[in-house]
Amino acid sequence: MDPMKQERLQEAGVDVDEALERFMQNEALLMRFLGRLPADPTFGQLCAAMEAGDAQAAFTAAHTLKGLAGNLSLHRLHQAVSRQVELLRSGDAAAAAELMPEIRAAWQAAADAVT
Amino acid sequence: MKPAHKAMGGLQVELGDNRVLPLGEDREQLLVVDDSELNRALLANIFEGEYGILEAGDGREGLEIIRREGERLSAVLLDVVMPELDGIQVLRRLREAGLTQRLPVFLITAETSGAVIREAYELGVMDVISKPVVPYVVQRRVNSVIELFRARRRLGAEVERQRDELLRQARQLVELSVGMVEALSAAIEFRSDESGQHVRRIHDITVHVLRRTPLGAGLTEEEIGLIGMAAITHDVGKIAIPDAILNKPGRLTAEEFEIMKTHTVQGARLLSQIPQMREHAAYRYAHDIALHHHERWDGRGYPQGLRGEEISIWSQVVALADVYDALVSKRCYKAAVGFDEALDMIRTGQCGTFNPRLLEHFWRVEPEIRRLYLPERT
Repeated sequence: MDPMKQERLQEAGVDVDEALERFMQNEALLMRFLGRLPADPTFGQLCAAMEAGDAQAAFTAAHTLKGLAGNLSLHRLHQAVSRQVELLRSGDAAAAAELMPEIRAAWQAAADAVT
Repeated sequence: MKPAHKAMGGLQVELGDNRVLPLGEDREQLLVVDDSELNRALLANIFEGEYGILEAGDGREGLEIIRREGERLSAVLLDVVMPELDGIQVLRRLREAGLTQRLPVFLITAETSGAVIREAYELGVMDVISKPVVPYVVQRRVNSVIELFRARRRLGAEVERQRDELLRQARQLVELSVGMVEALSAAIEFRSDESGQHVRRIHDITVHVLRRTPLGAGLTEEEIGLIGMAAITHDVGKIAIPDAILNKPGRLTAEEFEIMKTHTVQGARLLSQIPQMREHAAYRYAHDIALHHHERWDGRGYPQGLRGEEISIWSQVVALADVYDALVSKRCYKAAVGFDEALDMIRTGQCGTFNPRLLEHFWRVEPEIRRLYLPERT
């Protein structure tokens, strides 16, 4: 991979080596899915559900986002959203909401890094 | 939920109707069922070098592909949280259709809940693999289970082949031993100048009476078969009787008759001295019949003078069959008599007294027994 691009991704919290391992060094495939990140609706759905106070929809969106972040090795995002999933699972909506700025920052950084 | 269940009911029947599916090593397809395109792409990327990959975006589509491809699939990789049908519901359907036995299913899940994993194992998944997946771990775990199922199928086919072979050999052995017993008995019959047909007919009459009349009540078809085989050796003791007595034309003296009578005891002893015979399922019948086929209902038979129900039903049937066949056949000491005359002689007690119930049932099937002689008489 282009070292510049790799560095940019690393700085945005993406563990590129781990992601490439998961994609069996199929860089094109990894880049294809990373490239779709900015257009992915999941983060928007999470924001909308949190604002509407819909705990069930929030959980579903957070769960999906966690899976996405895990698969693409978006570490910063994955860590934050994993904590949120557990808080939502235990019904602590207030604590889950407090994580939103951190999640937003991590998501935005990753989305920016891939474009 | 309701319509989904209804649709599933129909699918289940189709899954369960045992369509003939190609077996063997050509089932090199892997089905990935996951609503996330990224997850499907990751798993497809891992396995597409070794397998053809089929993908389904939800549980219902997954089940449709399983129904269509059946055992052409090598394995199913199944997500848990999906729209339409979730992974656990898919598993339940597969289990109800008995497919989890033949088709290895893997749960690929981010779900860490112990209850879900436990339920999945109880429903028959071969392994639970956590997301995000680690390629070489998934590869190793999936491939080793697929290999296990392949080996199991090969082994199953081999066991089936061997079982067929064993059954064939067992049948051959039974035929061979019946053949040996018949040959031995026929040899003895020939020595007393009787036709070798006698033992065959005693067998046929005995089996016919037990099978077609209430006299055989309580006996299984297998037991009747053994009794028929045992009837063949009823006169095996004649091998110990001197030719001069065995083949004497005309009446025996009292002393000669005493010797002749010992063929019963001699036959039973002979049978008991052959270890292979003792262990044979027919032995208890063969021994009883050889010893008691000259006993009579009124206690005036030999060698033990048993009376009435003391004589087993099979020995009673063989005794009557023996007398009937002797009467209607030519022997060294007598000419053949007609069938009706033979029945008269039996009825009037000229060949000893028989159980009235035995005679009643024998009379009823005698026209059929008479037909056994037709090929010879015409």
